[in-house]
Amino acid sequence: MPVFQLDVNGTKRTVNVDGNMPLLWALRDELGLTGTKFGCGVAQCGACTVHLNGKPARSCAVDVGVAALTKITTIEGLGGNHPCQQMWVEGGVPQCGFCQPGQIMASVPLVDMCRRTGVMPTDEQIDDVMRGNICRCGTYPRIREAIKKAAGVTV
Amino acid sequence: MSTRFKVSRRDFLRSAGVGAGALVFGSYLTPSLQAQGLISNLINGFPVDGVPVVLLKINGDVEIITHRAEMGQGTRSSLAAVLADEMEADWKRVTLTQPDAEGHKYAVTFPEEVTDEHKLPYPYEDIPRTRKPKAQYLVPPDGSQFTDSSRSVTAYFAVMRLYGAGIRLAMIRAAAKRWGVKPEECRAEKHRVHGPNGQSTDYRWLLLGAKKEKPTYEEISNALKKPEEWRYIGKGKEPMPFYDAQDMVRGKTEYGADVHVPGMLTAMIERCPVANGALVSYDDTAALAVRGVRKVLPIYPPGVRGGGVGRAFHAHAGVAVIATNTWAALQGRRALRPTIKWDLGPHASYDSEVFRKELEASTSKPGRPVRRLNNVDDVFAQAASADTVEARYYVPLLAQTPMEPPVAVALFENGRMEVWAPTQNPDGAQQSAGQVVLDLNDAQMADEEFKQKAREAATVHVTMLGGGFGRKSKPDYIEEAAILAKQMPGVPIRVQWTREDDVKFSYYNAASSQYLRASLGPDKRPTALLQRSALTSFFGTIFPNYSTPGLSDAELAVWAKGRLALFGGGEYPYASGIERAQGLEDMPYDVPSIRLENCKAENHIRVGWMRSVANVYHAFAINSFAGELAIAAGRDPKDYLLDLIGRDRILDEKLMTSQFVERFRNNEFPLEAIAVPVVPKGKMNQVVAGYPPDTSRLRAVVEAVARDSGWDQKVRQYKNMKGRGLGIAAHRSFLSYVAIVADVSLNDRNELTVNEIWSAIHCGLAVNRDRVEAQMEGGIVYGLSYALLGEITVKGGAVVQNNFDDYPVLRIHQTPKINIHIIDSMDAPTGVGEPPTPAVAPAVANAIVAAGGPRIREIPFRHHVKIV
Repeated sequence: MPVFQLDVNGTKRTVNVDGNMPLLWALRDELGLTGTKFGCGVAQCGACTVHLNGKPARSCAVDVGVAALTKITTIEGLGGNHPCQQMWVEGGVPQCGFCQPGQIMASVPLVDMCRRTGVMPTDEQIDDVMRGNICRCGTYPRIREAIKKAAGVTV
Repeated sequence: MSTRFKVSRRDFLRSAGVGAGALVFGSYLTPSLQAQGLISNLINGFPVDGVPVVLLKINGDVEIITHRAEMGQGTRSSLAAVLADEMEADWKRVTLTQPDAEGHKYAVTFPEEVTDEHKLPYPYEDIPRTRKPKAQYLVPPDGSQFTDSSRSVTAYFAVMRLYGAGIRLAMIRAAAKRWGVKPEECRAEKHRVHGPNGQSTDYRWLLLGAKKEKPTYEEISNALKKPEEWRYIGKGKEPMPFYDAQDMVRGKTEYGADVHVPGMLTAMIERCPVANGALVSYDDTAALAVRGVRKVLPIYPPGVRGGGVGRAFHAHAGVAVIATNTWAALQGRRALRPTIKWDLGPHASYDSEVFRKELEASTSKPGRPVRRLNNVDDVFAQAASADTVEARYYVPLLAQTPMEPPVAVALFENGRMEVWAPTQNPDGAQQSAGQVVLDLNDAQMADEEFKQKAREAATVHVTMLGGGFGRKSKPDYIEEAAILAKQMPGVPIRVQWTREDDVKFSYYNAASSQYLRASLGPDKRPTALLQRSALTSFFGTIFPNYSTPGLSDAELAVWAKGRLALFGGGEYPYASGIERAQGLEDMPYDVPSIRLENCKAENHIRVGWMRSVANVYHAFAINSFAGELAIAAGRDPKDYLLDLIGRDRILDEKLMTSQFVERFRNNEFPLEAIAVPVVPKGKMNQVVAGYPPDTSRLRAVVEAVARDSGWDQKVRQYKNMKGRGLGIAAHRSFLSYVAIVADVSLNDRNELTVNEIWSAIHCGLAVNRDRVEAQMEGGIVYGLSYALLGEITVKGGAVVQNNFDDYPVLRIHQTPKINIHIIDSMDAPTGVGEPPTPAVAPAVANAIVAAGGPRIREIPFRHHVKIV
């Protein structure tokens, strides 16, 4: 079985799996990083969102072989105190919490860009970036508010 | 001291000596909460004979046992914070523990001796008592961890307050003794007691002293905080803490699929697509050839009919592929699928579109009356056809689809099953797992003794749930894990469901046909109302009936007895008393002649419940019909709705009985306030609130939402605009009242946009205001989702839909601005998890008509308007 070296959250990890195993299962079953969730398996719900070279990707739809060529960041690698994480807590965003790692990972690049440029995100931008992430508990109104706060807050 | 069964709340408060401003409690104490036992149970984590709700550690830190399942509704933090508030605990020193399935410990009961004076409250008063029961239950032991029906705070608010206040009182007394001062001169704040002369000490130094104190129930009641003293509860000084938030945003929270037991294998199951089907044969060669696959095992042997209609919580027939990792199991399952042959069974010809016609035929003829006032037939016979309005509504099967698909881990060792699972029903899960261990059949499981043996054979650890909405009340996925684990002793087996499994093998919310007819009098108010409700009852799924193959007459007889005792009847194929009480029997409109009927509907697929259950179709029908009547009457819909609600009335026992309602279930809470002694023959009574339908509360939420939305001005404004309109609806469910105004636009391309929603809720005291708002937002999004989008159809007995691509759910760009109004109240708290949902669909349907669109009488609306 082939061996792949994955750069996950700044650390090189080795996995012994088929190259066509989705990254999601390598993260969860092989590396024990269970913060990234399985919600649909067909890139419809966003619960499995990670960053590949800083860009959001649905890890259920990315092969290990491809992911091995990138720098992978999962929710565990965000640091714990990213403005999104802080505003998510302050705004009481989560309910069951299952989709929230994926929601946060999807929102981070937009928020980081807005913080860099000093420009607030529009509702359309938020919709565009976040429409791939489903929340069945219906926390969307608070996600929207938290993204705006995270983009604007000084940390 | 009077212990009359029926007392008015005011009379009782006057005579009972309960302190001024004391709240009327919403729940009973257990006998074992008698004050003498209260504190001695708590020290060092060794509960004696009490309910282990809170434990004080040797360093003074507090462990609160949160026995209700947490699926996002926030009751885990809320109930714990209630205790911490009354206790004056430092929240930083509080940890929450989710207990295993041990349901009997969290019952909320009446005192043990129940004499004729202390009659059981309705609806328990005529439960046959063949043997003297130990105690009567408001939340029965089977159900005390069973988290559904929006009742966690309703049932346990008072209990958690009393525990907290009791600890605080004991600590203050212990400190006062130490300092030689009076307890009244001391106060507690955040884990410390402060004396009158600058003395101050932490609770940790008072543990043994507090243990010796034995405050009575009366003393603890008098020590309860006044609302203005609350730290977190209601409009407390600080927001209620959210215990799990920090872990959730870091991906640290442990859900079912995150559990890792050493040596664990993962199973994926290919299931028979039709209910009550059986496995015929399969070839495991290809599956076993997949690297990582260890074993292929059937759930039931070939030829044995699996779960489905009339089979309680049993799993469908299936074949499991068990592997070292999830991906291998999935690959193995794909290789196995083409080789499996099924005997699809008696429901293989079930077609949901054909069945819809059956439902509609059922509501086209008289059904079984469940509520009657005067004679609607006479009124209809005399009414002109121009004054008669009739309409038929349809709601299809709906799937809950929580974000976390079902998953369970089971380990069979030393003759016992150990389970880890996200479950709303720990006791049901424990029974299912134990039934597998002991190989009991369903007739045996209807017997209390066997049930208890089954419980003792299994341990169930309850994880955080990634959403429930009623799906995870059913332990079928736990049974699957247990069945496989039993075939591989010593090996932990994780059963992981895919999203396709979740969509195709749910316990769906019933499909329903609703027929309504009304005649309007000269003042355009209805003079008669007829409603016919046909719904495929979840009773038809849970309990065997004449249509369930393979059961003996003896087994059917046992089940019939069990059904009567457990759920107060419900004869197949009619609805259960529970479903009839969800928006049908408590129909709130003030019409002089009424007949509400329940019509037959057979089950051909597993039916369960989805957030607000029968309220989904009852609210859709009655509120849409109110909108149609308003238009027929040429009146403003909001004003007309208030007219329909009419004079302030309480639908109490007397009224319901006079209208021939058989045992109105009322979400299992009493209709009338009751005073019950705390201890047998004791002087101190506890009042349990009554929660009858109260139309003044319905009026209050309608008026609130009309004001907040600026209804009158907007309606005038939108009349001159094309394609924009407001709709209104209001519904009582789970003892609470919610009104919704929807503002929608419909453009030239028939595209619907829901612009904004105003909502109002009366839920008694809003214990955790933040979570009440969150549940309003979430429940409204949930209601909008099925109203616009979601539908489950069935062909050839098998569900057609697969995943979120063909069972779409609401996304962020489709979510409107949501305004929330919590009606101020100090009454006993009522449900919040489900009540926001049912009124959304009819409010939007009414708004679409106001915007110039069609009158849509079926869910989902995307069949008639485009959802962008």
